[in-house]
Amino acid sequence: MKRALSAGLGAAWRCRALVAFLWAANLAMSALLAVPLATVLERDLREKESAAQMARGFDYPWWSRWSDQQKGWTAAFKPDILGVGFAFRNTELLLNGRLPVGAFATGGKEMAPPDIDVDGVILGLGAAYMLLQVFFSGGILGALRGPRSSLTARGFAHGCGFYFGRMLRVAGVALLLDGAWFWLNAPLAAWANRIAQDAVSETTALAWSYGRHAFLLAGLLAIHGLAGYARAILVLEDRKSALLAFVSALGFCVRRFGAAAGQYLAIAALSLLALGSWTLVDGAVPVTGWATQLLAFALMQAFVLARVGLRLALLGGQLELYRGGR
Amino acid sequence: MTARARWAATVVFASLLGGALLAPGGNADAPKTAPRLPELQAPYPLPPLPPQSPRNANYTIEARLDPATQTIDGSLVLEWRNLGDVPIETFPFHLYWNAFRNNLSSTARGDGTRAARFKSDRDYGFMKIKRIVLLGEPEVDLTRGLRFLAPDDQNGADRTIGGVTAPRAIPPGATARFRIEWTARIPYGALGRAGWIHDYYFVVQWFPKIGVFRKDRWNAHQFHSQGEFFSDYGNYDVTLTLPQGFVVGATGTSEPARNNPDGTQTVRFRQDDVHDFAWTASRRFLERRSRFEEAGYAPVDIRLLLQPEHEHLAERYLRATEVALRSYGTWAAPYPYGHITVVDPAWFSASGGMEYPTLFTGGTHVQAPIELQSPETVTVHEAGHQFWYGLVGTNEFEEAWLDEGLNDYAEAKALELFYGPMGLGRRYFGGKESRGRQRGWPVVAPGVSIGRGEQSLSDLRRLGERDPMVRNSWEFENADVYTLNAYRKPALVYQTLEGLVGDETMTRILRTWSHRYQFEHPTTRDFIATVNEVTGQDWTWFFDETFYSSGLCDYAVVVQEEPRRRATGYVDGPPGDRNTPTPAITMAKGMPDDGLTETTVTVRRLGAVRMPVEIVVELADGRVVRESWDGRDRWARFRYDGPKVQRVSVDPDHKLAIDVDPSNNTWRREEGLARQAAWKWSARFLFWLQNLLELHTVLG
Ligand SMILES: [Zn+2]
Repeated sequence: MKRALSAGLGAAWRCRALVAFLWAANLAMSALLAVPLATVLERDLREKESAAQMARGFDYPWWSRWSDQQKGWTAAFKPDILGVGFAFRNTELLLNGRLPVGAFATGGKEMAPPDIDVDGVILGLGAAYMLLQVFFSGGILGALRGPRSSLTARGFAHGCGFYFGRMLRVAGVALLLDGAWFWLNAPLAAWANRIAQDAVSETTALAWSYGRHAFLLAGLLAIHGLAGYARAILVLEDRKSALLAFVSALGFCVRRFGAAAGQYLAIAALSLLALGSWTLVDGAVPVTGWATQLLAFALMQAFVLARVGLRLALLGGQLELYRGGR
Repeated sequence: MTARARWAATVVFASLLGGALLAPGGNADAPKTAPRLPELQAPYPLPPLPPQSPRNANYTIEARLDPATQTIDGSLVLEWRNLGDVPIETFPFHLYWNAFRNNLSSTARGDGTRAARFKSDRDYGFMKIKRIVLLGEPEVDLTRGLRFLAPDDQNGADRTIGGVTAPRAIPPGATARFRIEWTARIPYGALGRAGWIHDYYFVVQWFPKIGVFRKDRWNAHQFHSQGEFFSDYGNYDVTLTLPQGFVVGATGTSEPARNNPDGTQTVRFRQDDVHDFAWTASRRFLERRSRFEEAGYAPVDIRLLLQPEHEHLAERYLRATEVALRSYGTWAAPYPYGHITVVDPAWFSASGGMEYPTLFTGGTHVQAPIELQSPETVTVHEAGHQFWYGLVGTNEFEEAWLDEGLNDYAEAKALELFYGPMGLGRRYFGGKESRGRQRGWPVVAPGVSIGRGEQSLSDLRRLGERDPMVRNSWEFENADVYTLNAYRKPALVYQTLEGLVGDETMTRILRTWSHRYQFEHPTTRDFIATVNEVTGQDWTWFFDETFYSSGLCDYAVVVQEEPRRRATGYVDGPPGDRNTPTPAITMAKGMPDDGLTETTVTVRRLGAVRMPVEIVVELADGRVVRESWDGRDRWARFRYDGPKVQRVSVDPDHKLAIDVDPSNNTWRREEGLARQAAWKWSARFLFWLQNLLELHTVLG
């Protein structure tokens, strides 16, 4: 497991140009909405005292009024996403089946958290991003498995195109499994919710509620882990069937459960560590002018970069583990 | 990773971390307000406090709780004096728990989180009068004549008011005595204020309670999902029997419980000069005590009955209760009862956040970051009700703004004074509690704080025009509109009144109100009269614009500027020949800009509500001009010729808390701050979106 972890991190470091490229793609796609938002905010803050307050801190009455007037995707700009809130908000969206494009939203309104719905434009962008990453994944795997010198733009593009069909099928199978997991989980979640409501103590109730969310998340992550191995298998063994690759991946993960789970959890722990460090540092940087704005922006981008890097490290480690343990 | 690369990465990270940690921390814009309360001793005369209440509805109650069947059997003797002007022979009694009898009751047909939506058999509850007797000579059994009344909505299926007719009328000033025996099934506690949850019993509105008679009419409303209660003052002597092992809390004070041979205990509570009696029992309660002692105030023993999982919040509950006793004590009149019981409700109980004489319920979360001010908000609010609802007994059915609204206003003021502005947070992954509120892991938005009243403006904008504020509670369009008009809007109106008359005068108004009407049932008219009396002015217009209006208040400013005009065409001639038009020498074009402008500041009234407004204009030469406008027309225009206008502020001191959009009250010469702010916040949005996009890779 340790070997796979360091091999994965090493591969990600080796492919740092690729990490940077993926980060840039992420930044570019997000900017498609963030830049228009900046225009909207600037227009709506012009010649207002609130501009000064929003530049120094956060003007709640202004935001409240502004937010009430937003109809489309701009309404997603809420204080909820500030600080570490973005991670909670996004995980909440994931666990309530809002990703991708609201496909897995199950259960009635009764169990859904308040304002859980996100505008279609944002969800659509998410789906497009997902598709783009599926396209990239063949190239990423090719780069990760290859020797140091093999990383070229051409090689990457070739990998993307060559494996696209297979990667798309892996994504399809993974989404089907995710859907099945959401579907199977819904009655279980409702049951746990009832137990929580009937609990004697709030602590017990919270334990059941957190527990059911954690259980759902664990299942999704397990499918994600499997999908990684399925991709690795398709590339390493040049196989075609995504479904059979999943079966092989499952067999491998059962055989090498400790190593596979350990490597996954280690990457997850590193992601949490990155999040924790970012939160700590970000909390200590009050944004009051252009300079601090730039610093905060750099910190945020460093986190996203780390996140993309860890994604590649996970895949690299999986490749290594599968290669070594067949 | 090579050693060099690792070293480089470490250096980059360390310098980022170091730079961040060395940067000045904290939000420099959040001044911590030092609590400033008025002196307890008023420097002006106040109406004398009454030595006791009218004591015209006195109850002696004996009741027995049977947890095996979830029933209460009780009998009471009511001694009731006619404070009206005419003889009476019909008597209405509130039978509140019949709201939970079936799905046809008015409460079950109502709207909002207090509407009874039954899910299983345990949710139903009821009250049955077994016997009602008019005592005296001769004793008359009135049971057979019991009729159900529905004066508010003519709902023939509603059983929340039972009326009886006596064979002899009770003349003004005379006393009638009734003996009532009743049995009640306790509803499950996830729906209404009263109920059981596991071994937690919250027993309120639980005995047949007589209506209020004044002048020539009864005031006895059905129980609705929107609105609360109203009753007369009296002395309560209540003896409760229930299994041993239960910790009991109630209105008033008790002697130590007496254990009975059958495994039950009997405990007797007494309280004079209150208008209701509530009690609670649970085996799980932790008990904490403290004593509020402050110069000039009568000491108050605080008894906190706490859920074990909230043990770490005991201090916060107790301190918030003290904050309310101290601040409301000086804004109104010191709390006279000497004791108060704070109940932390059981998980999933709907009994939280309610006021009863000398007892109230709070409600909080296991994870309770101080920024979110829970349990502080609810504790200060419900403790505050002891003053407005408890000591000044306004009619919650008909005039909720006199207790809920006034209390919301004072609560926000006390919280800001003692705790500073509230933070903004959201809870994750915890599911919902009984009344639909979200539980879970609290995440506080860093750097976001909400000032007094600011949280209510969104609701006021959205729902403010649906109904005027003065209206019977159950007659508002829906529960949200009721909540707005009972709590949020009146709180903003009182805050606005405070802004207009000044803090000192506002305190004097509230003190006069609270002294004069202690143990009384004053009305909105009495409140307005008090305002007029204390200020020496007629404020009727103010209440017409707010209490009696469904309009919104919104002032806004627009600034237009153009370079100062230079004359073209013909101007006056030289001295001695001024009358002769002379060609203007200067031409508008081609002259160097001298920086002088003609500025038009237009203040608009966008809403229906008219308030006097002040306008502050800051000019480039450093001058500050203060204008005032009666705010009655749709707009007013002010012109400034010469130096540029730098800033304009309508209502600069934020007196008009009801202005639904304070952000359009200002104009500021654009110097790039809008762009700076826009990029700053777009970067945060970008970061959120980047992570959301990246999260998609977990799925595909
Ligand atoms: Zn209240």
